[in-house]
Amino acid sequence: MKLIILGVGGMGALSLSKIVAQMSMNRNISVRSSEIHGMAKKGGLVEVQMKIGEGKSGVVLQKTADFTLVLDEAYLDYGKAFLREDVFGFIVLKNKDKEWIVKDLGDIRFANALILGRFVKQQNLFTNDDAIEVLKNFKFFKKNRIAFERGLV
Amino acid sequence: MKLFLSGNEAIAFGLVEAGVRFIVGYPGTPSSEVIPTAMDIKKRFGIKGYFDWSVNEKVAFEEATAASYSHIGSAVVMKQVGLNVAMDPFMNTAMTGAPGGLVVVVADDPGPHSSQTEQDSRFLAFFAKIPVLEPSTPQEAYGFSKKALFLSRNFEIPVMIRSVTRVSHSREDIEVGRLDDLQVKPNFIRDVDRFAATPHFRLILHKELNEKIESIKKLKWFSDFEEYFEGGVLIVTSGVSFAYLYDIVKDNNLEDKLKLLRISMSYPLDLEKLKKAIDKTGSKRVLVIEEGYPVIEMQLKTKMPTVEGRLSGLVPNEGELTIDKIGEILAKAGVLNQKSHGFVLPPFKRPSLCPGCGHRSAFYAIKQVFKNKAIYASDIGCYTLGLNLGAVDTVHCMGASISFGFGFDKVYSLFGKNDQVVVATIGDSTFFHSGMPALVDAVHNNSKLILVILDNSTVAMTGNQTTPADKYNQIGEKTKSIEIERVIEALGVEFLKIRDAYDIDGMINDLKHAKDFVLDNKVPAVLIFRHPCVYSGEGLENNIRFKNIYINKDLCTGCRVCVNQFECPSLIFDEDRKKVFIDVATCIKCGQCVKSCPFDAIKVEQ
Ligand code: SF4
Ligand code: SF4
Repeated sequence: MKLIILGVGGMGALSLSKIVAQMSMNRNISVRSSEIHGMAKKGGLVEVQMKIGEGKSGVVLQKTADFTLVLDEAYLDYGKAFLREDVFGFIVLKNKDKEWIVKDLGDIRFANALILGRFVKQQNLFTNDDAIEVLKNFKFFKKNRIAFERGLV
Repeated sequence: MKLFLSGNEAIAFGLVEAGVRFIVGYPGTPSSEVIPTAMDIKKRFGIKGYFDWSVNEKVAFEEATAASYSHIGSAVVMKQVGLNVAMDPFMNTAMTGAPGGLVVVVADDPGPHSSQTEQDSRFLAFFAKIPVLEPSTPQEAYGFSKKALFLSRNFEIPVMIRSVTRVSHSREDIEVGRLDDLQVKPNFIRDVDRFAATPHFRLILHKELNEKIESIKKLKWFSDFEEYFEGGVLIVTSGVSFAYLYDIVKDNNLEDKLKLLRISMSYPLDLEKLKKAIDKTGSKRVLVIEEGYPVIEMQLKTKMPTVEGRLSGLVPNEGELTIDKIGEILAKAGVLNQKSHGFVLPPFKRPSLCPGCGHRSAFYAIKQVFKNKAIYASDIGCYTLGLNLGAVDTVHCMGASISFGFGFDKVYSLFGKNDQVVVATIGDSTFFHSGMPALVDAVHNNSKLILVILDNSTVAMTGNQTTPADKYNQIGEKTKSIEIERVIEALGVEFLKIRDAYDIDGMINDLKHAKDFVLDNKVPAVLIFRHPCVYSGEGLENNIRFKNIYINKDLCTGCRVCVNQFECPSLIFDEDRKKVFIDVATCIKCGQCVKSCPFDAIKVEQ
């Protein structure tokens, strides 16, 4: 599976990629990623490309990804460019999702778990339990679970 | 234990596991994560070792050489331009040897993504006559680091691990081995003919070095080539390019079109053996695709003049060899039918100092005082982005702000009107790194330079590493803080002012005084504008934070003075309403922009 995660500095794109990596490792599936965060600290794009169960490099080309997860709407077109033509794996964190998260959960960083929920729902490599197994070890498991389950509906 | 490690983290694990107990270096993207990881490993696994930052790469290299002379497994870590700084000891240690083992970890930055040059460190390994190993993935970075120490110890020769941004900053699931605390004992055996060799003995050492290289050339594993696939066109490759090529073959089903011959040690190369391996494949056409300069290609060309690569014009001579680029090269060579699809670029955002960064306020003050009249020599660090405020004219290499300032001032004083103001800006860590010797020169030779030290108490650009001014290192061990102001005083500087970089009026005042002082006295003035980096957790927590900051819409005329002159990325011009607004998601409510509005439209609430 080829996966792209796009966000801006501080949005948790890196943590999200690490959660997916841990899910893979727990299942003994190989996982690789390539991070591009040149000027992330300066407000720029954080881009993580991942290959799960395939490849030698973590690099994913445009028009080849199975899923793109976009955490910032500024990158919609760029995110779409990575998707294969025959798939529908485009998952976006919308502004109304952000509002809900900040209002109900108090911290935009729970957006990760919500997007994870949507991702898990749409594919058949990982199960809900795989995700919970990883989120369980987080400090704010309860809130993460709420966000994750929200992503599943 | 399976971990999801970056290439740099993997190198740290590999080195410590292999028995390296002395690791030093200087931060620089993309190499900066190796030493912090080693320090964490030390703390987490209770390992005895010295892992920490040095003041610069040259010093680091010498420290590690002495540790290796004492038979302690050692490593030194830097980015590619860091090796330029360490060049002198680097060349010498190749000659004298490294009894305890010395692994030279260098991360190159083809692109370049965050460097001044695209130089290929393998050429410097070639130049110094030391072996260089090229991992293609984080997994290999881990394994090659262990092999590097083994090779280095056995032949008493420094061994380079050459990483690149894409290996250092990729991640992979890696099974790491046990980390045990080893019993190591320093054992420096006096041998003046080697360690204090005069030119006569250097000749002997050079001969020994040549012999070592000859033996290493023939060594099993290191000199072996891996072969993949069964196609008719042969590609000789190494490092990250190998990983890309492997993926291209798999993804495009080119198994019966291409054959890969992968080299792990690109110097020294056993050319006879390589030629035999190539001949055996029966391939009519041989391409060389390697990231960086044509290191393998130039060597191979001496035996096979028909190989194609950078020298034949097939592969471009600058820029990163991304997987897309390699695809294009293969298409050009006629071995891949690449459907060219327009590559979509992400929306461009000009890099800018962080919202609330004290450097911005300092540059703003400098610009208010000297306008476009001064020559502004700056340096390597976040503050390079003072460019956006028009207060940076030159950025060259570490420490060059002061020496450039010296040069500008001297020629203008001698050959021009004697009132040209030259302002040099340098960060605290860069000042320690290589600014100090240049300041000695400026003081000794009466330069009327104004030096502004932008002190944010950290190495911010590369991820907030500690500096010599810190009282503790990253893992809380006590260190002695070197106070910059005392260094400045000790160097004989007669004008020194220290100011919080959030005090814009105060800085403007200091700068005016400094100008009068240098013009009257023809000697340097130093100003330290100090404010903690607000990107560090601690810096942000302790930073002044107003309850609210907003734009009074009635007062804002839409003149954009704040946006253009103060340039905080949280100040955004609304094209529809023709007014500025503040982006609450990124603004840290520091209130520094208030001064920049000529109409008093930026308001704060306490
Ligand atoms: S990282 Fe720190 S020093 Fe660098 S621009 Fe941001 S606030 Fe300024
Ligand atoms: S208060 Fe002003 S200067 Fe400070 S971060 Fe916000 S917009 Fe930028």
